[in-house]
Amino acid sequence: MNDPYEILGVSENATDEEIKKAYRELARKYHPDNYHDNPLADLAQEKMKEINAAYEQITRARSGGGNRGPSAGYGGYQSGGYSYRQYGQSASGSSVLQQVRIAIQTGNISRAEALLANYSDHNAEWNFLRGAVCYRRGWIDEAKRYYQTACQMDPGNQEYRQALEFMEKGTQSAYRPGGGQFGTELCGGNMCLPLCCLWSLCNGGGYWFCC
Amino acid sequence: MTGGSGKRADWSLPSSGCSETVFGYVRPPVQDLPAEETERFRRAYCGLCHTLGRRYGPAARFILNYDFTYLAILLSDGKEGPGHSARCIASPLRKRAYLEPDTAMELAADESVILAYWQARDGVADHDWLHGLKYRGASAVLEPAYRKAASFRPGFDGTVRRQLALLGALEKENCASMDRAADAFAVLLSAAAREMDDPIRRRVLEQLLYHLGRWVYLVDAADDLKKDAVSGNYNPVALRYSLTDGAWTAEARREFTATLDHSVHMMTTAFELWDFGVWTPLLETTLYTGLFRVGKSVLDGTFRAKQRGADRENSKNVEETA
Repeated sequence: MNDPYEILGVSENATDEEIKKAYRELARKYHPDNYHDNPLADLAQEKMKEINAAYEQITRARSGGGNRGPSAGYGGYQSGGYSYRQYGQSASGSSVLQQVRIAIQTGNISRAEALLANYSDHNAEWNFLRGAVCYRRGWIDEAKRYYQTACQMDPGNQEYRQALEFMEKGTQSAYRPGGGQFGTELCGGNMCLPLCCLWSLCNGGGYWFCC
Repeated sequence: MTGGSGKRADWSLPSSGCSETVFGYVRPPVQDLPAEETERFRRAYCGLCHTLGRRYGPAARFILNYDFTYLAILLSDGKEGPGHSARCIASPLRKRAYLEPDTAMELAADESVILAYWQARDGVADHDWLHGLKYRGASAVLEPAYRKAASFRPGFDGTVRRQLALLGALEKENCASMDRAADAFAVLLSAAAREMDDPIRRRVLEQLLYHLGRWVYLVDAADDLKKDAVSGNYNPVALRYSLTDGAWTAEARREFTATLDHSVHMMTTAFELWDFGVWTPLLETTLYTGLFRVGKSVLDGTFRAKQRGADRENSKNVEETA
């Protein structure tokens, strides 16, 4: 068993408040919302479990070995409340598309892709799932366009609408250390690009091949 | 890194000046970093330079750049090994500290030589006889180094050849899918992590490098918008958003930054799943801050202007110190 203090990145002398703060930062970082539809979500889930267990262990030890869990901490992150979006949960109109959902959920993107390629009815759900496959492959622009088509074909569908919304605004709430805002347009000011780095790195002499 | 053949990418060489280089979008954001982190980066930079020199001879040192240094850092084991210091051609008077070459540094050096060689060959294929001269010169100089590197890393060499050929084909057919074009380069870059033994580490690095490649390819295309609008060269971003005069519409810019930000998000979420040791502060600041700064500067159209200004300063400095 790894040292729970090490997992949370705090010393054994840390105050309860410091521990809670460290836990919250890590929980924010590895939160399922931050790994929404991410191909590495399974690894984040493992991290989250480890952090929850470490926090639980420390709180339990500090409260005198009682059974009181970390309810004083971040309740929403306990293992029970932890859920990644389950593609299998929504009802599919066809058994093939149901299989596609399962393949996506288990990370078998190639299989999902092959099943979709052989499915001739390009309905709203097909477009939605095609978008989901694209997103996992890193084809982010195409993903958005498939989600758009799905929404156009079935405007009332909540699942498709949420997916499209995520493509448009999803990263604005993405984790950034210290809680700063995430995004190209949110980086402060025009003068923010330093080319002076050339000097601090290469001021030893005429560094003519450095650029 | 490079935009590949599709962008008729220019290659930075001592003789060519630096104004047209496609490398340099990934760089340490110095004003956001404490001096010790910048110094650490410089030690890796110098370490890679020494590795290139020892393995491939002095001529190969000229391919050195920040992008390849980041590759070496990502492939390293997260520890800062023994340091040495030496004088070199760039610092002939003062000894400079550098990281001792290790196996990760050697992997990065081999892959850098392969990337640099094919980039230069690409330049030969893309230009007429006169304008292709400097590329022919570069690939001729790199030829022996490349043969050696390719024999060390045949798998990576094969992937680079295949993906660059694919990029060339996509350019010819005027591919309108910017994801497809970016994918060709992103796959090329992610192949740099294929030799990692630990399966989790490999997955994390492949994902990080894929989106770094995607981001670099798209940012480079955005940076070339105006130039390509004049020359009529293939530009996947212009095609995707129907930009004919090289200027952004508000809507296109919004959509494009959203897609860039998604790639940065994919990089940061991958980054957080592996312990990069001593390089953590540098990589964290580069990914969460530096890339946004570069992206915004490119979209505002100030990136190239600054680059050119810096190059003028640079050559002035060379003259003064020569």
